[in-house]
Amino acid sequence: MRRSLIGAAAVAAVGSLVLSGCGGSSGGGGGSSKGASGGAATLKLVVADYGTGPQNTSSKYWKGIISAFHTKNPSISVNVTAINWNDFDNQVQTLIQNHQYPDITEGDYFQNYAQEGLLYSAQDALSKPGNLLQAFKAQGSYKGTQYGMPFTTSSRTLFYNKKLFQQAGISSPPQTWADIKADAAKITKLGKVGYGLPLGPEEAQAETLLWFLGNNGGYQTSSGKWEINSPQNVQTMQFLQSLVKAGLTEPHPGTKNRTDLWQDFAAGKIGMINGSPALIPIMQKAGVLKTSDWASVSIPGKSGPLSTTLGVCDNVAAFKPNGHQAQIKKFLDFAYQDKYQLQFDKEYDLLPATTSAAKALSSDPIFAPFLKALPNARQYPSDTVWANVKSQLQHTVGTAITGNPKSVLDTLQQTAEKGA
Amino acid sequence: MTDQLTGGSSTGAVDSPAPSRPSDNAPAGAAGPSGRTGPLARRIGQSLSPLLWVGPAVALIAVVVLWPVVVMVHTSIQHISPDGFVLGSAGGGNYGDLFSEPALKGVLIRTVIWTVAVVVVTMVLSLAAAQLFNQRFPGRRVARWALIMPWAASVMMTALIFRWSLNASSGVINVFLRDVGLLHRLGTNQADWLGRPTAALVWMMGVAVFVSLPFSTYALLAGLQTIPAELYEAARVDGAGTWRIYRSITLPLLRPAIIVATLINVINVFNSFPIIWEMTRGGPGYSTSTTTPFMFILKQSYIGESAAMSVLNFGLVIVVVLLFLRLTRWKEQMG
Repeated sequence: MRRSLIGAAAVAAVGSLVLSGCGGSSGGGGGSSKGASGGAATLKLVVADYGTGPQNTSSKYWKGIISAFHTKNPSISVNVTAINWNDFDNQVQTLIQNHQYPDITEGDYFQNYAQEGLLYSAQDALSKPGNLLQAFKAQGSYKGTQYGMPFTTSSRTLFYNKKLFQQAGISSPPQTWADIKADAAKITKLGKVGYGLPLGPEEAQAETLLWFLGNNGGYQTSSGKWEINSPQNVQTMQFLQSLVKAGLTEPHPGTKNRTDLWQDFAAGKIGMINGSPALIPIMQKAGVLKTSDWASVSIPGKSGPLSTTLGVCDNVAAFKPNGHQAQIKKFLDFAYQDKYQLQFDKEYDLLPATTSAAKALSSDPIFAPFLKALPNARQYPSDTVWANVKSQLQHTVGTAITGNPKSVLDTLQQTAEKGA
Repeated sequence: MTDQLTGGSSTGAVDSPAPSRPSDNAPAGAAGPSGRTGPLARRIGQSLSPLLWVGPAVALIAVVVLWPVVVMVHTSIQHISPDGFVLGSAGGGNYGDLFSEPALKGVLIRTVIWTVAVVVVTMVLSLAAAQLFNQRFPGRRVARWALIMPWAASVMMTALIFRWSLNASSGVINVFLRDVGLLHRLGTNQADWLGRPTAALVWMMGVAVFVSLPFSTYALLAGLQTIPAELYEAARVDGAGTWRIYRSITLPLLRPAIIVATLINVINVFNSFPIIWEMTRGGPGYSTSTTTPFMFILKQSYIGESAAMSVLNFGLVIVVVLLFLRLTRWKEQMG
């Protein structure tokens, strides 16, 4: 009796530990069936969710493509899983760590997968890889071969609330950091948040880079050398620190995520925020700001507006381990048709990733300016250690606001230099 | 209980030779060897037969509990790429990396504070709540059902609800605090509870207590109901006051229930993940991480180091549990 109790207690202790240890991987689905090349197969498609709710979730968009595809290719079925952006990297990473490979992912893409030999090249996965926008080719390439295939793109601009600007007596949108500080101070006096600074884990890497660019900084030099802790970048963080200390941003930016702040901007609570066209449907859904109540301009830099902005592309990656090359190629050729590209862009206010679809949109009044900015946009580093740097940066860069910017950036630089 | 069981099995042992006796009358040729090995095989069979009953449970524990422990320890000494490929042995490298993490010390201290505070507060509140629910009052059945709610609801949901309620500019809790005059203005640093590490930790401890209360209360309530009413009657006849009765009868007799409930709470709270992950993701930085979220964050890039953190976590839980059992001298209590 006694002994069994201590045994039971020990087992309970071990059991609950092990269970909690497994919790992280519970999101994994089963492996997909192996089919002979070209034959019947079920493809596992894992996508990021661009929707703002169940009525426009990305799985709806993909299901439309899938059912049209399945009618034409009855032997190939596709199962789609949509994962919200907050968890996407983590869940895909977990699937891959556990060797439960998807066939296709659409969302963030990491060079590591190419390095490990897990991916089909764009050449192997698409009939016309040349139709992908050239501007993003380098970012998706590993050792000269393209693996990451852009599916949708966006560029960043500064959105501002015209109504609040008017109330605060500001006549023109900000062009420099000093403008941002002055305008934010006036808006703060109205009881609103002057500038929305999302440095929380969701997308800190984007906000940080946009500010770095304003001071001629960045993550890497043009020759690919890491410069996270460069003097300019430290200076940039010090400026942000002064912004936060003066109470011109939302409280505790290191804990605030992009999605939440975009919602707050859409609700009219924030004066200025960096955004992509994807912010537009959020504003429309919230119904607080009319189209005439907001505008977007080039992102202000230290002494003038940025001539380049951050160009982000979300990539498709085709995974090798399940051996479905022929089926994947059939499906991707189908999904990359112009009509689906345009449908996606209309649905989520994002930009196309193929030359032919971009041509079709080149006279569109809303999209044209964003499209024009794309070719010379700056991008994230295409380096295999970027996955590690990014994850650490997401968790720690916010502490540069409260602590010592130099030491936070030093630690990140060390991680980057340590290599993958 | 024990007597009955051994009684049962001993009669079985006496009975079993009886039917086997006829085998002694078997033809001489076969009788020699089989006569000798027969009982031996039987004895082996008899000593193995409990294994038949215990076997499945042992196998289950081996596969579900012990095997993952082996894998965990093995992982912690391997060098693994972020994509899950083993690149070779890392020796003690992962442990070296882990112990040189600047955040580790804070994480460990926080874990101790988190566990002790949550468990102590939970147990004290549960003792009071169990006493209350043991009284007769109208609507007691409904109240007892209602107590299950925080337990039945998904912890992640509860954590999310609290996160939204604490939203700096429009959370219900903040609106309420402003309306009663405790908060000057919404959207300020003061209203942003989850942005300040200390305040965030206190709120999350509150949520942890909230979700741990039902189980502990029910465990103690069950304990209270096993205390015979005659004891209370006798004490009252002897002229003992309420407080005296509580201290000399209720608490000592409740001790086994308290020990079990505390032990399970310690293990659960120590490993608590969803509350912290959903409310702050362990941030800003790692300043609200306990060991479990910290391990999860490490896992994204450094699988081996994360496994080393798991091993450390595992060792800590075992040490804590053993210490606890030693301190409470539970053997004397539970016998």
